[in-house]
Amino acid sequence: MNSDMQPMYLPDVENNPQPSFQAETIRQLQAKGAEYPQILHLFAYRPAMTAHLTRFTREVMRGESPLSEGFRELIAAYTSAGNQCLF
Amino acid sequence: MPHIALPEGFPGISALMVYRPETAQPLNQLAQGLLRGHDTLTAADCELIATYVSSLNDCYYCQSIHGAIAAHHLNGDEQLVLDVKQNYETSAISDKLRALLAIARKVWEGGKNVTGDDIERARQHGANDLDIHDTVLIAAAFCMYNRYVDGLATWQPRDPEFYRWRGAVVGEEGYLNLKRERIANS
Repeated sequence: MNSDMQPMYLPDVENNPQPSFQAETIRQLQAKGAEYPQILHLFAYRPAMTAHLTRFTREVMRGESPLSEGFRELIAAYTSAGNQCLF
Repeated sequence: MPHIALPEGFPGISALMVYRPETAQPLNQLAQGLLRGHDTLTAADCELIATYVSSLNDCYYCQSIHGAIAAHHLNGDEQLVLDVKQNYETSAISDKLRALLAIARKVWEGGKNVTGDDIERARQHGANDLDIHDTVLIAAAFCMYNRYVDGLATWQPRDPEFYRWRGAVVGEEGYLNLKRERIANS
């Protein structure tokens, strides 16, 4: 693990990435010794469930809408800042 | 009255799901994955966590419908659902569920409020990583569902019989392929 990263509360989640796009991304970043966001572990833990979150996010952020993609990302970034979520 | 022109006669999130089916599908699939339980966390446990978080967010529709679904899984024990909402620490639930509800409350306050001690308490009462994972995701997801439902001021019927009826239907059939029926707007 990159030395800037803290272990997660749930070791089972951190140590058991299931086959998924996110698990592959984790593998590549770990091989490089890179720091990476642990949300990847959350999405890799139960891909059968989190795939729905991914599809929801894609629809809301990239689906047909009168709001531009840039503006939608600004809403997401502004809300995340309000929630003090750095990532 | 809803803030935007929603199809009439559909209560709470149903109106939003009829309005925007593209986002409704993954939201329902997420609910199905989160709330139907697994080996170590029952559907009743999951629905109680969802109900409790919805009551903290003061979302009338969500706490009523998920409270009714929880009661359906608890052989109609509406009093227990009420007790959990009013004071889960003294209600007649397992110590494990009590510890998980404490985590759910911290997630509701703000994700960073969950501490290692909260996790340890849950583990001491037999919660595994999957139980804790699902608890945090249910609490976080319901903060979203509650804000979605109230942020657009959806119509939320006050008749408890409606929730008993609908709670039994969803309790039996789950969240996928639910028929959305117009009901009388009284």
